This record gives sequence, C-alpha cells and structure tokens, in this order.
Amino acid sequence: MHDRLTQSMRASHLLALLFVLAALGLAAMGAATGDTFYLRLGTEALIFAGLALSVDLLLGYSGALSLGQALYFGIGAYVSALTLMKLPSFWLAMAAAFLATLIASIIGGLIANRVRGVYFALITFGLAQVMAKVVYNTRELGASDGMIGIPVIEIGFGPFSVSAGSPVGFFLIVLAVIMGLYALTAYLLDTPFGRVLTALKANEKRVPFLGYSVWRARMAAYVLAGVIAGLSGALYPMLRGFVSPELMFFATSGNAVISVVLGGVGTLIGAIYGSVLLVILKSIIGSWTEHHLIVIGLLFMLCVMFLPRGLVGVVRPAIETWLSRRRPAPVAAADPADLPAIIAETARTSR
Amino acid sequence: MTPVDYLQFVLAPQVVNGLALGVAVVLVALGLTIIFGMLDVINMSHGEFYAIGAYAALALGAAGIGFWFLLVLVPILMIPLGMAVERLLIRPVFDTRDRHVTTLLVTFGLGLIVEDVLKIVFGANTQRPPTPIPGATEILGIILPNYRIFLILVGAAIVLGVAFVVYKTRLGAMVRAAAFDRNMAASLGVPVSLVYAGTFAFGVSLAGLAGVLLAPIYSVFPTMGRDFILLAFTVVIVGGMGSIWGAVVAGLLLTQVQALASLVISPVWTDPIVFGTMVAFLVFRPQGLFGRLGHA
Repeated sequence: MHDRLTQSMRASHLLALLFVLAALGLAAMGAATGDTFYLRLGTEALIFAGLALSVDLLLGYSGALSLGQALYFGIGAYVSALTLMKLPSFWLAMAAAFLATLIASIIGGLIANRVRGVYFALITFGLAQVMAKVVYNTRELGASDGMIGIPVIEIGFGPFSVSAGSPVGFFLIVLAVIMGLYALTAYLLDTPFGRVLTALKANEKRVPFLGYSVWRARMAAYVLAGVIAGLSGALYPMLRGFVSPELMFFATSGNAVISVVLGGVGTLIGAIYGSVLLVILKSIIGSWTEHHLIVIGLLFMLCVMFLPRGLVGVVRPAIETWLSRRRPAPVAAADPADLPAIIAETARTSR
Repeated sequence: MTPVDYLQFVLAPQVVNGLALGVAVVLVALGLTIIFGMLDVINMSHGEFYAIGAYAALALGAAGIGFWFLLVLVPILMIPLGMAVERLLIRPVFDTRDRHVTTLLVTFGLGLIVEDVLKIVFGANTQRPPTPIPGATEILGIILPNYRIFLILVGAAIVLGVAFVVYKTRLGAMVRAAAFDRNMAASLGVPVSLVYAGTFAFGVSLAGLAGVLLAPIYSVFPTMGRDFILLAFTVVIVGGMGSIWGAVVAGLLLTQVQALASLVISPVWTDPIVFGTMVAFLVFRPQGLFGRLGHA
C-alpha cells in the first residue's frame, strides 16, 4: 500500500516549486520594466496567501472552519506597526508579532477549542468581531482610521540589506517568508503530529483510542495557524505603510476562506494559488465593473458544490500519477505511529 | 433629576426601544433557528433574505401597494425564492460528509452575490420608506412612537403563531418528525423532501417579513443584512440553536442588555458586550439556554 499522503504532498511541493519559479519570473520582469504597481499587488497577494495558508491548515487538516482568522492577521499587523514606529527593525517587528500572536492564539484556542464543528466557526467569527470592534473604538490604535505613517524600513541580513520600499526587493522577501511558512507547515504535517491532525479530520472519535490527545492536537494546530496568520499580517504594514481595523473584519477572514476553497481545501499550496487567483480575478473584473462580488461569489459557490477539492485538487492527481510513475512511492511501514494515516487512508477510500 | 423622572424619561423609553429592537432581532433569528433546527443548515445568507424583503417592500411600496397588503404579499413572494434556493443550492450538498461547513460556505457565497445584486438594482444609497403608522401615544406619561408599539404587538403575534404551528399542529409534527429521523418519518408517509424545502422557504419568508416590518425603522441599504445577522446569530447561539423559545428569550434579553448598557457606557462598547456574551455562552454552555427543536 502506498502512503497517499506523502505522495500528494510531493505533488503539492512540485506545484510550490512552479509557483516560486513563476513568481521569480514575474519579479525579474517587474525589475526589468521598472514596474511598481503589479509588484506591490503581487506582494499583497502573497501576504494574504499566508492568511489563507493558516485557514487551510485548520480547515483542510484538522477539519475546523475558522471564520475569524483575520483576528491573528490583524494582531500581527498592529503589533508590527507599533513596533516599527518605535524602532524600525524588520526582525524585531516579526519577533514581536510572533510573540503577540502566540499568546493571543493560545488564549483564543483555549476558548475556541472547547467547541467544535459549526460552533467553532461561529466562536472564531465572534472572537474576531469583538476584537475588531475593540480596535475600531480605541483611540490609541487610531480607531476607525487605523494608523498611518509607518516608516519604510531597511531589512538587514548580516552584511546585506534590502529596503521595504523597493518593489522587487520586498516582493522577494515576502515570497521567501510565505514559502518558508509553507515549507514549515508541510514539514510539520509530515511528522506524527501532522498525521494525528489528518486522523482528527478523518475520524475524531477514534483518535483517543489510539492514545492521542484530541485537544492537544487541535490546540497545536490552532496556535500554529494563529502564528502563521500573525507573521503574514506583520508584513502588511511594511508594504502599505498603514494598518486599519478592516484587516480584522469578516471580509478579510471571508476572503481567506474563499481563497482556500478556490485553490483546494487540504492541499496547502492551493491556498497560495487561490489567494493569487482571487487578487487576479478582482483586478480583472474590477477593471470593467465594480460589482466583482457577483462573479467571485458565483465561482465560490460552484467550487463548493461541484469542485470540493478546488483547482489544485483537479490538477494534483495527475501530477501524483506522473510522480509515482517516475519514482515508486515507499510502502508504508506498519509502524504504530503511522496508524492514523492508515485510518485516514481507509476512511478516504471507503467513502 | 428625580428617580421618577429618570424612570419616565430615560429608562422606560430605552426599555421600550430595546424591546422593539428585540422583537426585530427575534423575527430574523426565528427563521435562522428554524432552518438550523430542522435542516441542520447554517444559513449565512439569512441576512440577505432579510434585505431582499426590505427592498421588496420599498420597491412595491413605491409602486403604490399599501403597507398592509405588503405584510402579506412579500412573505408569499419569498416562498418560491426560498424553495428554489433549497432545491438548487442546499439539496445538492445536503448529504456531503460535513453538511454544516458545506452549507455554510454555499450560503456565504449566495450572500455575497445577493448583496451585489441589490447594489446593482437599487444602488448603494440608504433609503427609508415612510412610516406606515405615524404619531405617538402617551402611556403612563411615557411617550412611545405608534409604529414601535405596533411592531412589538405584531412580533409577539408572529412568534406565537409560529410556535403554535410548530408545536401544536399536524403539519408541525410532520416537520419535527422529519427533523428528528428522516428515514422513519419518510416511512410513515411524511413527504420529507417537500417538508425540507417548505421549512427552508418558511424561514426565508420570515426573514422577508422581518425586512418589511423593520424597513421603516432601520432604513434600507444593501449591506443591512450583514450588520443584523451578527446579532441574530448571537441570539440563536445564546438561545440554543434550533429552539424557538430560546431565540425569543435570548433576543429580548440581549437587546435589553444592549439598551440598558448604553445608558451607562458609550453605545459603541455595547457590541463587544453582546458578542462577549455569545462567546461566554459558547464556552460554558454551547447548547444554549434551551434544548433543540425536534431533539428534545
């Protein structure tokens, strides 16, 4: 029996490689033509791809739909903005955003993980809404206007340094951060922890019988997702120079969910493709009508109904077959640690 | 200000206004909770159906149809719409493994579309139909707008009517049976498929009715549903998903909390209080105040 999970992740990695190559090509083209607008748009798409990635980690792996992931994205953005205004350091801002979202998502996780299913969706929705309202009404955080005047920073790597003001340079940095987050998530999902998550989605009732704590796994996934969203959000003020409460609103969380569903739930790379696709769709449709929601809503609905595995879900099986023909997949060992994966596998094939 | 003055001029009007808002929220939450209780479907587009009802009242009212006739006409017009949505969008994904999430996503997409369609057809501006019952009445020295009194009375009548149909009639028994055990109900001759479509359409039609009733008070704009649905969801959760009485009690309670809290603190902070209540309920009593329709 082939380990389908490893096999399909390998296909995702190939798609990720293609994505990076395409992005590098775009960056080179942008640098050659001296473009600013499209590179900035692409950078923003990448930042929101990080948010979508965190939604996919929850929805696609532990099976929990978060309707308020923008909460952590917003916390990351605000903390990063506050740090940058005090001390314009990229690494310090990222570290502060990491710590803040770590703490916030542990608190949020303690609340949200007491319930599951549709209640989880609504509680995450409520949490984000409460925080958004609080920020919206706090004068110290700029209230409804948000905060402007965040300095353009120099991002140093040892002897080298890149300005966040340079469209190509910052695009490449964001690309590196987001793909780093993708790689980290993909790696963690390939560990026994990741297999427990998959088992949770397949059959939550059986997981405790195998000696794994459901709560601990759900909590770990939630905190990881929160931190990923927070680190992506931390990049936002560096790009735009401002933060606003809209970053925490339901529209932001909703867009991330749309990206994940369009790209393919449970594929990781699908979230990134979906996010870019959403930005492209918005700017293409937006160029001839302001009513882009109709088209996006329609596409989204069709995707949920007829293409539950999204765009990547359509492409990926073909790549999997091609990969397995090139290099036979390893046979899964009957190791106890692999049991959840085998359960997930049987659940999938018997469905 | 003497305590009596405070009661008469500050507290009592605030309580009555809160009551009017409470009835409004209960009307919207009622459809939401019935759809969840019977079909196990989270209707994220419920707020948009409420908006459709309000816009229908606005458009038909402008065409010269009287308010009293609209109260009957709009809910009837909403029924085929609800049936079509159930057949075309809910039914195909009804039996997927994760029904809650899938139907939530589908109706979320529908909500996006409806909002934009309303924007195209009626424009993005806020509109307000004339108040059908102008004037105010003085009761015990408290001056109350007539329309709000009417709203409270009509709302109470609608809730009682719905509860009577669901709990006391043969039709209601069929609906509850279908919600409790689909296969058993079907084998006893309940037309389950029709009951499902009818229940969804009924919930949608209630949202439309709420739209007609509330348009004169809260004005009409394309995203009006989005603002209202949050409160309605809170009410449904606090009351217990699927419970009619739960929705009534929670709706009145939460809006009173909101109304009275805004006397003490700035009104902008009452929203976090209401949502905080929802979060607290989800954490400590996820099943809500009351049990669930067809399951208790």
